[in-house]
Amino acid sequence: MILLPCAWCGPRDAAEFQHVGEVVTRPDPRTATPAQWRAYLYLRANPRGWTVETWYHRMGCRRFFKVERHTETNEVRPVTAAEVPGAAAAGVAGPAGAAGPAGMAGTAGTAGTAGPAGAAGAAGAAGTAGASG
Amino acid sequence: MSARAAAQRRGSAPVAAMRLSPQPGEVIDRSRELSFSWNGVEYPAYHGDTIISALAAAGERVFSRSLKYHRPRGLLTAGFHDPGCMVQVGDEPNVRGAHRLVSGGMTVGSQNTWPSLRFDAKGVNRLAGRYLTAGFYYKTFMQPRALWPAYEGVLRRFVNAGSVSPDTAPGRPEQRYAHPDVLVAGGGPAGMAAAVAAARAGAHVMLVEEDHQLGGHLRWGGEAGLAALGELAAQVAAEPGIEVLTDAVVLGRYDGNWIAVLERGPGRPAAGAAAPGDSAGPVAAGPVAAGPVAASPVVASTERLVKARAKTLVVAPGLIERPYVFAGNDLPGVMLSTAVRRLINLYAVKPGERAVVLTANADGDAAVADLKRAGVDIVRVEDARLGGDVVAASGRGGVRAVEVADGTRILCDLLVTAVGWTAPTALLNASGDRPVYSARAARFFPDLARLSDDVLVTGGIAGDGGLAELTQHATAIGTEAARRTARIARARSLACPASAAAAASAAGTVGAVAAASSAEPGPVAIPGLPVDAHPELFAGRTHGMVDFSEDVSSKDLLGAVAEGYDSVELAKRFTTATMGPLQGKLETINAVAIVASATGQSIAETGTTTWRPPYAPVTLGALAGPAHQPVRYSPMQPWHEAHGAAPLVAGAWIRPDRYGDPAAEARNVRERVGIIDVTPIGKLDLRGADVPRLLNLLYVNKWSKLEIGRVRYGVMCAEDGVVLDDGVTGRLGAEHYLMSTTSSGAATIWEWAENWLQTEHPDWQVHVTPVTTAYASINVAGPRSRDLIERVTEGVDSTNEAFPYMHVRTGRIAGVDDCVLWRIGFTGELSYELHVPAGYGLHVWETLLERGADLGAAPFGVEAQRILRLEKGHLIVGQDTDGLTRAFSAGLDWAIKLDKDDFAGKPELAWQLAGGVGQRLVGLQPADGSVVPEEASQIIDDGRIAGRITSSRMSPALGRSVCLALVDGRFAEPGTVLTVRLPSGRRIEAMVTPQLAHVDPDGGRMRV
Amino acid sequence: MQASANGHRPGRGRTRYPARYSAFGLLRRGLVQQEWPPAWRSQPMKDRYDVVIVGGGVHGLAAAYYLAANHGITDVAVLEQGYLGSGGSGRNTAILRSNYLTPEGVRFYDRSIKLYQRLAADLDFNVMFSQRGHLTLAHSDASLRTMRWRAEVNKIEGVDSDVIGPAEVKRLVPFLDVSAAARYPVLGALWHPPGGIIRHDAVVWGYARGASARGVHLHQNTEVTGIDVADGRVRGVRTSRGDIATRVVLNATAGWSTLISDMAGVAMPVQTFPLQAAVTEPVKPFLSTVVVSGTLHVYVSQTDRGELVFGASVDPFTSYSTRGSLEFIEGLAGHVLELMPALTKVRVLRQWSGLCDMTPDFSPIMGRTPVDGFLTDVGWGTYGFKAGPVAGEAMAECIASGRTPEIIAAFGLARFADGALVGEKGAAAVGH
Repeated sequence: MILLPCAWCGPRDAAEFQHVGEVVTRPDPRTATPAQWRAYLYLRANPRGWTVETWYHRMGCRRFFKVERHTETNEVRPVTAAEVPGAAAAGVAGPAGAAGPAGMAGTAGTAGTAGPAGAAGAAGAAGTAGASG
Repeated sequence: MSARAAAQRRGSAPVAAMRLSPQPGEVIDRSRELSFSWNGVEYPAYHGDTIISALAAAGERVFSRSLKYHRPRGLLTAGFHDPGCMVQVGDEPNVRGAHRLVSGGMTVGSQNTWPSLRFDAKGVNRLAGRYLTAGFYYKTFMQPRALWPAYEGVLRRFVNAGSVSPDTAPGRPEQRYAHPDVLVAGGGPAGMAAAVAAARAGAHVMLVEEDHQLGGHLRWGGEAGLAALGELAAQVAAEPGIEVLTDAVVLGRYDGNWIAVLERGPGRPAAGAAAPGDSAGPVAAGPVAAGPVAASPVVASTERLVKARAKTLVVAPGLIERPYVFAGNDLPGVMLSTAVRRLINLYAVKPGERAVVLTANADGDAAVADLKRAGVDIVRVEDARLGGDVVAASGRGGVRAVEVADGTRILCDLLVTAVGWTAPTALLNASGDRPVYSARAARFFPDLARLSDDVLVTGGIAGDGGLAELTQHATAIGTEAARRTARIARARSLACPASAAAAASAAGTVGAVAAASSAEPGPVAIPGLPVDAHPELFAGRTHGMVDFSEDVSSKDLLGAVAEGYDSVELAKRFTTATMGPLQGKLETINAVAIVASATGQSIAETGTTTWRPPYAPVTLGALAGPAHQPVRYSPMQPWHEAHGAAPLVAGAWIRPDRYGDPAAEARNVRERVGIIDVTPIGKLDLRGADVPRLLNLLYVNKWSKLEIGRVRYGVMCAEDGVVLDDGVTGRLGAEHYLMSTTSSGAATIWEWAENWLQTEHPDWQVHVTPVTTAYASINVAGPRSRDLIERVTEGVDSTNEAFPYMHVRTGRIAGVDDCVLWRIGFTGELSYELHVPAGYGLHVWETLLERGADLGAAPFGVEAQRILRLEKGHLIVGQDTDGLTRAFSAGLDWAIKLDKDDFAGKPELAWQLAGGVGQRLVGLQPADGSVVPEEASQIIDDGRIAGRITSSRMSPALGRSVCLALVDGRFAEPGTVLTVRLPSGRRIEAMVTPQLAHVDPDGGRMRV
Repeated sequence: MQASANGHRPGRGRTRYPARYSAFGLLRRGLVQQEWPPAWRSQPMKDRYDVVIVGGGVHGLAAAYYLAANHGITDVAVLEQGYLGSGGSGRNTAILRSNYLTPEGVRFYDRSIKLYQRLAADLDFNVMFSQRGHLTLAHSDASLRTMRWRAEVNKIEGVDSDVIGPAEVKRLVPFLDVSAAARYPVLGALWHPPGGIIRHDAVVWGYARGASARGVHLHQNTEVTGIDVADGRVRGVRTSRGDIATRVVLNATAGWSTLISDMAGVAMPVQTFPLQAAVTEPVKPFLSTVVVSGTLHVYVSQTDRGELVFGASVDPFTSYSTRGSLEFIEGLAGHVLELMPALTKVRVLRQWSGLCDMTPDFSPIMGRTPVDGFLTDVGWGTYGFKAGPVAGEAMAECIASGRTPEIIAAFGLARFADGALVGEKGAAAVGH
């Protein structure tokens, strides 16, 4: 299990966290075109290498924070605002189980409660995707 | 003639005819005799015997039958990974008989034998062997297709394994977490020396050895070996910083040096218990070498998973001896040199009477010496270094004769081979290593350059050399492993932005860090290990078994390559070589060599396969550990149980589904007053000047003008416009609000709000506190609810004028202060939702029932509530909506305020409105009111699906069935008659109602 | 459209296999100790092909096979960075089913099952499709409702599925704990008799053999390093073994689909997650159906070799790592024992990972893209193996006819920009 450097709690097992996903910038809802908005909803760089992403310390300090992770080795290193494109945004396209990246995984279900209990929300998802056996 | 055969002639029990006189390093305790049953016959054994050593001592040679050809199989390695020694112990399948210690009364049986081990009918497969070549099943059983299940039945009958009983007692053993600085995998001389060095450098060390005692090959290394072991064991015992785990194995190394260690049973040593054979030599000196043999009484077979977050991992597993490939190499009586040395030195068992030995190295030579000492007649030694070779072994139930290089055929009952080694690089694969082949040493070595900083390697896997060189290397590695721990610990915490910033800002810290790093000693010089020359011996002149558990021969591999499966991976998958219980430990390198020879590539070019975790098999029970599946109850649960509530599993919550007849409960709410436990409703306490901005962002409707004392219903959407959650929020004070969410949405919406506040609007002044379980929540509903509320509340004027619909009050209920009353309702009746401090929940619940007895106050469950809300046409998010239902489709037009600057999902909703709403949630009533279409029944429009029933119940109020349905916009017009297909296939007609509500559409009853 | 209506027609464009497989052949060669000829040929790589397929898994090989078998297009190269089937095709849990939620999904996977049923005969290669039945357990009234939803849609589409009760479930799988005391009681299940398991490698090899026999070139250990695009159309492919000129490139990769699409400048709504699986030591057969629990995120089947094969849902965070994790097998074991407590002494032998390209609506991205000549058959999430034959058939037709076959019309890339996601997501957020 990888260790994640929570900015407030120090290194903790990844199991304590919710992976929110790549940092994305929210377009201005007043001026966004459908193309821009749906790029924000659905398109991710999905790089093989270093990427800046948001994690939520769900079973800890309940803080959202950014970290840079290598998607092949899973090494992590801290990011400072300067290094972050669209510094403020952390990807609010959707909460776990909804339209956001977490939803795309089809695993998160209703976030907050760990394991199957929490996953109950995604029972349907598991039926079609989560456990596609 | 085997002792057992003899015994049977004599009609008496088997005797340990092959047991030798006491050996200096033996681990059996001759003072403690046991007996156990093998295929129904009682056998003698000593404490410390493995199942197989005891059987071998009694002259048994055949312990299982092979997968495909059902050839007899015996001892090969005399260790955990001996393929022929898998047995069934009671209800435990696939027990490693050459490792599992005998316990008194143990019931052991052979696997994969029918009708018996001695006479196995499926043995006829040997005759069929010629065309049961690898992958034969891909080429036949194809026609006619209808017969495949029958063919399959035959294949399944050949499954080579133990059986599992449905009555097996559930077992979920505890797990353990450990945080050693240094974890040493392998308790041979190198591992022991590394552990000692690391401990002396101040590190906390966990030393893990798969066998029952520390010492590795020193244990069968004769007097010299035992003396050296005694010294090392004493050093280990002298280091309080070392924790020793014997009969334990490192299963895997995962990212972040998260290391899985499996402690095995039965009978893990009780701390400090002395091993038998203490007298027999230094092996057992002190607790260090206390083997499971010491544990008494022996506990039932258990495994325990230890999860270790090690700073550094030292890999010192030693080497695995490789079998040689030639005709008859799987016959009982063909053994590896380590096998005979273990049998003789550890278990005092004579492996045979007349032996031929093929040796290519010192260990083979040592085996010859051991055999002579054990009184085995050495009839021939073939020295591979001088061109010696074994061509074939023959015999039926076991070796009877061996043909050697010069063609002579020698009668014998034992053939020992010592042809080289395999480096078990499993733990290194997971650390980035790709082993490189050395033709000189005839084995693979780890590629140290690719290893991550927190993994080090020592012992035979790293190189050769005498004991002195190995321990010197291991000592350096252990010291270096300890040195690196400080840096790795610092790196882990410095990766945290805060601490990094702190370190950067606070000069003192920086100084400290700098000081620490400068104070840190430089890298330890690691002496090189020599690489001894060793002949490349993999497959001989004849074809033989490569994978003993899968019955895959060298001929099969050549055939696979000829058929185009010409890489190790393809050949492996086609023949299933290395796919069995051994996972390649014995057979991978031979397979690689054979594929290489067939493709004309070098072994280096061919490469080896990737080892996948776990390194050794592990029970599901040990992996699972104790079940941690918490459930949540409200404070009123004891009352519910006492009153026969039927439980409903709702996510983590267990709720009362009903107390009796739900329809009656519902009627009581419509006519009198009912109370329901709604504690699981999500509750968030919101404080701060910017709460209205947050509400305006999360909800689709407007919140800027919510007055103190008012409550409003709101709907939330995700950014794709899909309905996410709904609930009410009330304003309790100038900057104080209480938000409710759906039960299952509680955690999600909290995270959702925090996400917006922390990442998009960190400047907003809002503090969110989850109070779901801080309050017990009770809904009081029905025409008489006001009467009941008046009786139990103080300081709240509950007249309609003073406390109208959609308002909130705080006050005292049943003597309990700080309660919140919401005049809202899910049922469509006059109703109040009470949120009382959780500790008083049961008290308030009972008070309500007591004081309301004459009003007809009675509890109702979730089912009755579902009936009532459906009659009223209130939707349930996630039931009447799905993962694609945007707010307009849910019929929430009235709530959606597109003139707001921004709210989650606004653009999508604007586009939905512009582009046509699509699906619509509608009320629906079957023409035949006695029919309740099952939820999820489909709505059909000339053969195509046009929607589905999302909710349906029989309405006690209307005496007819009522539904909600999601339908194509085309069919949403009130009065439209739709065709519903019931699960039975029957089709019925149903009409779209003017609005979602079936009962009291204009909501008069809620406002009285 | 003919092709997709009749599927693969053995008569058409059939070349003799190097050697017909049969029991008699086994016997004869066994007696005379004669080896079988190669299942597929290896040719030198040409510098030009009509069609280049990236990805030597079941999808790419099936597409190549159907291009040759159904459309007579044989100047085709399949490029595989490792060995045939080394990606998702060799790492999945080999479960087949068609009990999806949406009509388009059900029709699509049902076509795949029908092709799988005759695959052994079509390919002269026993792929060992065992239609032993597929059971999806419901542990809550919400998931029971979802099962009913799927069953009803299946029935209307002519697929055999229905909801059954706990007693029937127990009869099918005696090892299941269906007691009400279970933490996740079994309230019922979706029973899908046509579902089952198959020998995944055999499917890959069978298609490879069939494609090769028809003239398709298979290039293993050939990594695509770039795609040449000019004036909005594909010109060629660059590989670790040289450049290839071509006007049609099919991206049939899994795990690397965004990396390949990026080479052509096509952005994909895909995120890559590891999906882990594990297998136990063999035990005597006791489980004859496939058992899935959505709530517990686990699926179980027993192979003819006696091994229990376990799968789960994708890892909790994106990654290209296939090293696997301890949490996975711990969680998996816990969930398996929740369902079948008696398996506590059965041992896990091996765990492994594959890479899954997850899309926002749990549906693939198939067909043409803004770049002329660059087609995709990606976004297969955790369900790609099931779709191999139908995807190959449809993509072959798409390439041959230049039109998008009806059966994949719902799966186009454009749906995301249009906000018209596929309803398989419908079930994804059905809560409570």
